[in-house]
This record gives sequence, C-alpha cells and structure tokens, in this order.
Amino acid sequence: MVPVSMPSALTFELLGKCSVTKARAATLHLPHGPVPLPIFMPVATQASLKGLTPDQLEDAGCRLCLNNTYHLGLKPGQATLDAIGGAHKFQSWPHNILTDSGGFQMVSLLKLAKVTEEGVKFLSPHDGTPMLLTPEHSISLQNSIGSDIIMQLDDVIATTSPDLARMREAMERSVRWLDRCIKAHKYPERQNLFCIIQGGLDLDLRKECTIEMVARDTPGIAIGGLSGGEAKDAYCTVVDTCTELLPEKKPRYVMGVGYPEDLVVSVALGADMFDCVWPTRTARFGNAITARGVLNIRNAGYSTEFTPIEEGCQCVCCRSQEDGGLGITRAYIYHVASKETAGAHLLTIHNVHYQLNLMKRVREAIIEDRYPAFLKEFFSKLYDDKSKYPGWAVNALKGVGVDLLSD
Amino acid sequence: MTNDASPPNLTQLPPEMLEFALLKTTGALAPRLGRLTLPGRKTILTPGFLGNTSRGAVPHISQDNFRNASINGVYVALEDYIEKHPETTPPVFQIDAPDSLRRFIALPTDTLLVLGARRQPPIPSPVANTNSEIGLLTSYGFRSISSEYYAAAVRKLQPDIVVGLADIPFGQETVGLKRKDKMSDRTEVWTRDIIAKRNGIEKGEPRYSIFAPILPIDQDLQSWYLEHLLDDMVDDISGVAIYDAYLLDDLPEALYHLPRLSLHIPAGPHELLRQISLGMDLFTIPFISNATDAGIALDFKFPAPQKLDSATSSSRQSLGVDMWLASHAESATPLTSGCTCYACTKHHTAYIQHLLSAKEMLGWVLIQLHNHTILDSFFSGVRASIENGTFEQDVAAFEAFYEPSLPEKTGQGPRVRGYQHSGSEHKHMAKKNPKAFRNFEKEGVLQAMHGQQPNAKPEMRDVIDDEALVGLVGLENVEQGEEAEKLKIEDAKS
Ligand SMILES: [Zn+2]
Ligand SMILES: [Zn+2]
Repeated sequence: MVPVSMPSALTFELLGKCSVTKARAATLHLPHGPVPLPIFMPVATQASLKGLTPDQLEDAGCRLCLNNTYHLGLKPGQATLDAIGGAHKFQSWPHNILTDSGGFQMVSLLKLAKVTEEGVKFLSPHDGTPMLLTPEHSISLQNSIGSDIIMQLDDVIATTSPDLARMREAMERSVRWLDRCIKAHKYPERQNLFCIIQGGLDLDLRKECTIEMVARDTPGIAIGGLSGGEAKDAYCTVVDTCTELLPEKKPRYVMGVGYPEDLVVSVALGADMFDCVWPTRTARFGNAITARGVLNIRNAGYSTEFTPIEEGCQCVCCRSQEDGGLGITRAYIYHVASKETAGAHLLTIHNVHYQLNLMKRVREAIIEDRYPAFLKEFFSKLYDDKSKYPGWAVNALKGVGVDLLSD
Repeated sequence: MTNDASPPNLTQLPPEMLEFALLKTTGALAPRLGRLTLPGRKTILTPGFLGNTSRGAVPHISQDNFRNASINGVYVALEDYIEKHPETTPPVFQIDAPDSLRRFIALPTDTLLVLGARRQPPIPSPVANTNSEIGLLTSYGFRSISSEYYAAAVRKLQPDIVVGLADIPFGQETVGLKRKDKMSDRTEVWTRDIIAKRNGIEKGEPRYSIFAPILPIDQDLQSWYLEHLLDDMVDDISGVAIYDAYLLDDLPEALYHLPRLSLHIPAGPHELLRQISLGMDLFTIPFISNATDAGIALDFKFPAPQKLDSATSSSRQSLGVDMWLASHAESATPLTSGCTCYACTKHHTAYIQHLLSAKEMLGWVLIQLHNHTILDSFFSGVRASIENGTFEQDVAAFEAFYEPSLPEKTGQGPRVRGYQHSGSEHKHMAKKNPKAFRNFEKEGVLQAMHGQQPNAKPEMRDVIDDEALVGLVGLENVEQGEEAEKLKIEDAKS
C-alpha cells in the first residue's frame, strides 16, 4: 500500500514545550474554531451532555466535545442527521465535535459483536437483526454527523488479552481499516480523520503500528485500546513509547482518559487530547471533582457546609452571587443531589469546569515553562502525604525528568 | 362591591410592604386585573402564576437556566427543607446570613418568594393534624410541625409572602361536620399565631407578608374564622390563599381588595380559565411540570387562534404535543411556531424528540422551559382579554377550539420520586415505576419508593437514585436494560 497524502482541515500551532518533560502547549485550529491544547473533551454521548444546554456547556468553557457515532447512528439515525444537516445543527452546537468510530462502543456494549476483516458484526439492540459496521459505513456515518474530527474504525481488543497473535492481527487489521477509511472519507477538507494506534501493551507492536499509521499522514493521531483496565504503569509506558515516534506538529489524542492525575501525567508524556465520561457521569452520583480529590456531596456531613463546592472555583455554581455566580453551596448540592435533576446539572457544570480549567492551568504552566513545578503542586494538593502518591505516577514522571518525591 | 378596592391604610404602610393594586374589576365572581408589587422584586401582573419549586428549583431547571424561564415569582414549600426535624436542626436554619432561603436556593434577588408549609399539590400525610401541629411529608417521611415552629421558620427564612397554616385533612374523601368545625377553629388559631409572631418582629428587621388561608368548606362552617379574620386580622394580612375556587362566592366582600392565591390545583387550562373567571389572581400550576415529565410540550394560546378552515372545525386542537412520538424525528420546526422560549428559539422538535427517546435529561429541561413560556403567554393573553372586556367570549372560543383536557401521556417520564407524587397518583405508583417496583420487591423495602429512605443500604440507594436521574433507562425492554447495565461497566473505567 502506497500511503496517500491526505488533505487536512486543521492547523496545529505549537506554542511552547516543557524544557523538562514531553509536555506541549498548542492551539489547534479546527473547522469550528480554535481550541487550546492540551484539552479535555467532555462526552455528549447522544448529542447532549447530561442535561446541560449547549449554552451551559459553552459557558463552562467547552469548545470541543464528543459525540458517539454508535449512539447517533441508532438515534436519531443517519437519515435524520442528513435531513437536519449534521450533528452541529442537530444539537445547536456552534463549536467543534469529535466522534469516535463506533467500533469500541460496539465491542464493549454488545456481547455478540464479532470482528471479521469486513467489519464488526453485531445484533441490532432494537430488534436483534444481524448488522455489520464496516470502516466505510463508520466513515459514512461520521460524514453525515459532520464532526470536525472523525476517528477511523479500529479493531479493539482488551489490552489485557494474553493472545499475542490476536493482538497482532488486530493491530494489522486496524492499519488496513485505516486505508479503507481514508478511501471512504468524503470530506477530508472539512473533517479531520485521525488514525488510532493499536497493539495492546506490547511495545514492539505499538512501535510497528505507530510507524505504519504515521506514514498514512492523517491530520491527527490517536493512541487507542488503553483505559481498559491495564496497569497504569503499562499504560504510561505505551503512551511514552508512542509519543516518542510521533511527529511534533500533529495533535495526539489518548482515548478514554480523564482522571485528573491521569491527565497531568499523560500530558507530561507528550499527549495533547483526552476524553472521558467519568467527570460527567460521576456528577450524577453526587461526586464533585476538586483539587483535593473527589468529594461525595451526598455524605450527610456536607448538609451544613455552606461553602462553595470548591473554594475559589470560578464555575457559575461556585462563584458567589456578589461575583455574578449562583453561590451554590455544598449544602444545597446535598439538598438536591439525586432528588432533583437540577442538582446533577449543577454538579456536572462544576465538574466540566474543573476539568477544563485544570487543562487551562496545565497549558499556562507549559507555556511559562514551569510544568514540573505545576506537577509537584498538583500532587501535593491531591494527596496530603508524599507516601500516598501513586507509584505509577511517580515512576512515569521520573521517566520524563520530574521527581515528585524530591523537595 | 366597589371598583376602588384599595384598603384605606395602604398608603401608610412602610415601603417594604407588598402592594396589590386592582387595575380592573367588574364585580364579584368576575375576572379581574391586578398588579402585585414589592420593592426590589419584579412586578407580578395578575392573573399570573408562580413557578412551583421542588427543593428550591423548578424541576429540571438549574439555577443558571432559571433566567431563561420567564418566571417572576416562585412558590416554595417548607416541607422540602425540614426532613430531619426534630432530630436535627434543618441545615437551612443554620445559615448565618440574611435572606437565608433565597441564598440557599440561589433565587435571583428580584424574584418574588412565596413560602407555604406543603408542596403543591400536597401529598396526604397519614400523620393527622392536631390542635397544635400539622402533618407534613418530607423526603425522609412524615413529620409534623407546630404553628410556633412554622412562625420561627418563616422568620428565619425570610420569604416575601407566607401562606398561613391551614387545617385541611388532605386525602380524606369525606370530612365530617365536627371535623370541619375543628378545621375552622385551628386555622383561626394558627392565623392569629403567625400574625402575632410577625407583628412581634422588631422594627427595622425584615418582615414578611401573610396570606390567610380560606378553607375548602362552606362559608357557614368557617364563619367564625372569617368573621374574626374581618374583625381583627384583616389589616395584618396581605392576601388570601384559597383552597377551593368554587367557594369564591362565599368570600366576604371586605377581603375583595386582597390578592387571591389559588391553592386549588387546576387540571388544565380550561380549569385555570374557570378560576380566573371567578376572580382568582395568582396560581401555582402543577400541571406544567406534570406535562413536562410526561414529555408533553404544551401548545395552546389565549385567545385561541382563529379557525382557519371549516374542514377541520369539527375536530378540536390538542392542548399539547406528545414529544415521544417518532413522527417528530425529522421535524426542524420549533415546538410551537412563534414561541419565544429558549427551547423554541435555540432548538427544534427533532432534537427534543431525540432527547426524550434517548432518555437524555436535557429533553425535560427544554420542554419545561417551553411549557413555562406557554403559560406565561397564556396569562398575558388572559390579561389582555380582560382588559379588552372580551374575556367571556374568548373563553368560549378557547373551549370550542381546544380539547377539554391535556393529552394522555404515552412515553415514560423521568422517574417520579415519592415525595413528588400527588395523592391520587400514590396508589398507582407500582404501575408508574414498574422496574423500581420489581427492584424494591426483590429487596423487600417497599418504602424505597420514596427514593431516599434513611435505612436503605447505600449501594441500593445509589442504584435507585441514579435511575431517578437518568430517567428511565432500561424500562422499555430487556435489551436496553442490558445495554444500560453494560454501559455502567464501560463508563466506570477511567
Ligand atoms: Zn465550581
Ligand atoms: Zn417554546
């Protein structure tokens, strides 16, 4: 296969690099406006983010969110998307959208999904009829969705699978499927196709895959198949290995990652983009993300805490009424958590803001070349004692020149 | 009956007091126009309505979205805040700041805040009222509070208006004569109580206005109470809260100048119009949120539009659109053409239909915003019609144009929490939440229907609560249920 050079609908503007770690700060110019990198992308699975209006999501600072192709393909379906004119119009979202290929959802949601060279076979969740998702169909769906970043269909298997032969097959198939996706892609001038590096936890497979994928010259590159329950050390090694081989001037997206400590470490390992349902999903259980860890506001102790969800947070919930915010307190969140949908909406706003603001601070620290100090401060806030720092984070950061345990 | 109904002493009242100006009346049992003003709050033109809150929020409307909701005043129930009384002091009383309730629920400073003891509609409490206490239903179960406690709570919470306690045995099909006597006696005592407590507040400290309850019993059965209300309480009250609009006939003329808050739950717009035609001023309208939860986008105007062609004249227009119907799936139009609400100006029908069928919470948010705007426009139309003197004809035209009741719901709403059920719905709860019923049965905790029983295993509570918020994931069929369960596992990863 001779790699075809493909057009790109994005510009990657590198603004700064950490002089110690592999962290980078950039602005990614996408069809629906510029977005800052590194970035966390909230997941609006079914074209809606957990009860928030697009305006609320915008107010929280989001300019790039995810939709899931699998879900939109089922509902509202390709015909409706075509009729309405794509997902931006469908959900009245003027900013950028990234869609996955649908393959991962299928394999993880449907027990009867079966992967062949042709595509992913599965039974329709509506009526049980056999269906097939091919690379061509996935791209066609994403073309109808009109997302600014689209993902190739890949052959995803659990990183923890011991079957190396199957792992190699999946990796090689993902490369072949990328070629089919590139060929099927109708709008490369307005939608950016990202390849997805596979290969499980086997570093040789990952390297081989990275070289093959990079040769196809897609506008951006994703590292896939992680966040499936593998050890964090192994995760870090894979990310580190892949970013080592990636071109500097392209965005790097690690799929399915979103815990704050995972984000800051992955950035140090050279990754730029992340998505995860956790911050918004956990809000529905009354969990608030703060610099000092996750608080479950449904604990009765919070019922009389008349302080913001997080002191100093500038989200519309936490900001004081004097400051133009709502002045929502932990006590009020306790009062409505899991009793009124509005309670979940408020916490979702806070959590999305937390994640976006964390990445904003990360970016500023990189631009000002003080990311190592930022990392130290981040972990010292999150854990009250160095002995509690997670070993994988300490090791991974040591590998890129930051010793969290030193003073 | 006189057109100049202003009480003589109104001009001497301190500036922070509530004012009600009757702008137009045409006699007893007739629609009227009024203006309710309180310095610092948005003016409420009557007939008009209050947002009906649940735990401080209009259901589905987070506080930042509230500004998109065209609501100038809200009704708040004390029973939403005192679930652990008397074991622990309710948190809201521990706020050490002025305007504690308003701050706590992040209500804008210019929104009128009306506080009552019970939610609208109140769920019958098996704890009977006594001479000194009234039974409530909180999210932790049944409680009772004394009149004294109520007055203290009101003083602490500083609403603009408080509805006095009324002794009404909700849910009781027939009430004996003796019991009715008691209702009148107790309500009188409690009304005197709250007036005395309010008048005891020192000068310079924030005061609240009192709406005295008018009981849903015949005039002769509450005649003592009404007489005393006129004799020595009328100057201390700023309005009346009426539990049975059809007894407005019995309202003493000396109370005509006061604003009338209806606590008579209207089933739909037709009944609202009937109450308005009897001279009711202000409403809480539970059917708005009920329609929203059912996925029904209200779709009516007052006055009703002109009928366009005679071909359709035989069929009446529906009062609402069932947004669950798949026929809306490709409709790029607003919910109601010309509607100025947030949902209709930002989104289209297809998206809202998608949100409902995908059980995304945003669907209910958008329909709720729309439904409140529909009512807001409805009341504007009503006021203009009264102003023009065409109300009677307009009502007749409305009745001829629209179906008599709201459409039946077809799809599932968000899971109903126990404390949100109306009394009659209570009996049918098992039918309403079939899956929950099954779960609870399995767990042997039928009380779990209240959603937050104190002794439940925390992990069980999580399950219920999450479902409550997601809506009704998995209720339609087994496949989706399985899918949802797997989603959780997948979601749980980092
Ligand atoms: Zn916040
Ligand atoms: Zn509307």
